[in-house]
Amino acid sequence: MSNRLCILLIEPSFLIREGLKTLLSNQGQPYRIEEFDAPVDDLDKLINRINPDLVFVNPKLVIRLISLPRYTENNFEPYYLGLIERTTPAHIQGKFDQRIWLDAEKSDLNKVMEKVLKHLRNGQSDTESTSLSEREISILRLVALGNTNNEIADKLFISAHTVMTHRKNITRKLGIKTVSGLTVYAILNQLIKVEEIQGTD
Amino acid sequence: MHIHKDLKMAEVIHMNHHLLPVLNRFNIYLGFGERTVEAVCIDHHVNVDFFLEIVNTFHDSSYFPLRHLQSFKASMLIDYLQKTHAYYLDIKIPEIGRYIRDIAQTSDFEETHRKLLKDFFEQYQHELTNHINKEEQGVYPYVLRLEKLIESADASLETLKELQQYSIMEYEEDHDDVESKLFDLKNILIKYLPPVRNNKLLNLVLHEIFELERDLNNHGHIEDLILVPIVENMEKELRLRYAKLSSNV
Repeated sequence: MSNRLCILLIEPSFLIREGLKTLLSNQGQPYRIEEFDAPVDDLDKLINRINPDLVFVNPKLVIRLISLPRYTENNFEPYYLGLIERTTPAHIQGKFDQRIWLDAEKSDLNKVMEKVLKHLRNGQSDTESTSLSEREISILRLVALGNTNNEIADKLFISAHTVMTHRKNITRKLGIKTVSGLTVYAILNQLIKVEEIQGTD
Repeated sequence: MHIHKDLKMAEVIHMNHHLLPVLNRFNIYLGFGERTVEAVCIDHHVNVDFFLEIVNTFHDSSYFPLRHLQSFKASMLIDYLQKTHAYYLDIKIPEIGRYIRDIAQTSDFEETHRKLLKDFFEQYQHELTNHINKEEQGVYPYVLRLEKLIESADASLETLKELQQYSIMEYEEDHDDVESKLFDLKNILIKYLPPVRNNKLLNLVLHEIFELERDLNNHGHIEDLILVPIVENMEKELRLRYAKLSSNV
């Protein structure tokens, strides 16, 4: 994963969008951003298309905001920042990982932004210890050989959720998302042999 | 800076030369002289507003096309999308495929590695082709049918009723797996293939893959931001007509 953050920004006000970008730039954070100023119908789909690290959302622009999509199909987990007004209902406010009050002081805004970016960087540096752990290698082998998450969970006596978490970390570390991509990686690195795959279906 | 109709077409290319294949899809080719975007479009019978929305979406991924949506005919858009499909299948993919085969033939890779690379690319090619076929045979004809119905005022109750079962949202499946494969291919080339002597070919193929990726992203963007809203509007209109007709019966 590069250190350029991929950001999704959903907010109707041009001034607020520009302000948020200024805050980000003040932190010296390189980023790539997609902006939406109109109501979003299908947040799930958007998140899955963009795979953002960080999402700024004005809850007013999300139609049917029931829950925020957590794990995307590519095993990315976005961090959600709610753009909150005094009138935003409490149960909506509670859905976000972090809130930004739109009427907050500059110094508070900078603090929030610094905190969020620090959090995201830590998350990344964990996974940036790029070598795979023993456990991840055994999971990668099983994935490359064509096992499903449930099959892997059974074989290794762990929960399917844990398998998911490992797979997410493998994808982050290697920069490879698909099963066939992981298979190529496993063969190139001699974690499995070509004949082994041909043995399975 | 956004591209507007009074800009010279030559300046547009200076601003962003990646737009060249996009222009070609409108049958616009080099040799603009001093003519403006508008003048070139008129010469080539291209709707200027439509052209501007397409090139601006391509030029700036945060550009949000809104203003002229209603005035575009779906068939215009589909014509453009089909041309981008043809560009992928007839030009870009064969080009990359040729490089991949050359790499496999000329370099000092092990036999297994050559085969891996070739097979992986072939799988990608296969998936992309399938995806494109699905759109061309399922989604686009559906959209064109809607447009025809909207234009002819005399759609029968049965036809309208039949259409109630469909919605563009169902067709709208994600491009995710196809996208992920291309992403993986990049990393396999950049990070995981063992270094080889003939680096030139690898550089070239990687460059082509980045170009293809940029174009594909834009294609998906246009579908989501322009095509889907247009189709949703048509669906809404036809639902209204159906409701009206059936209450008259």
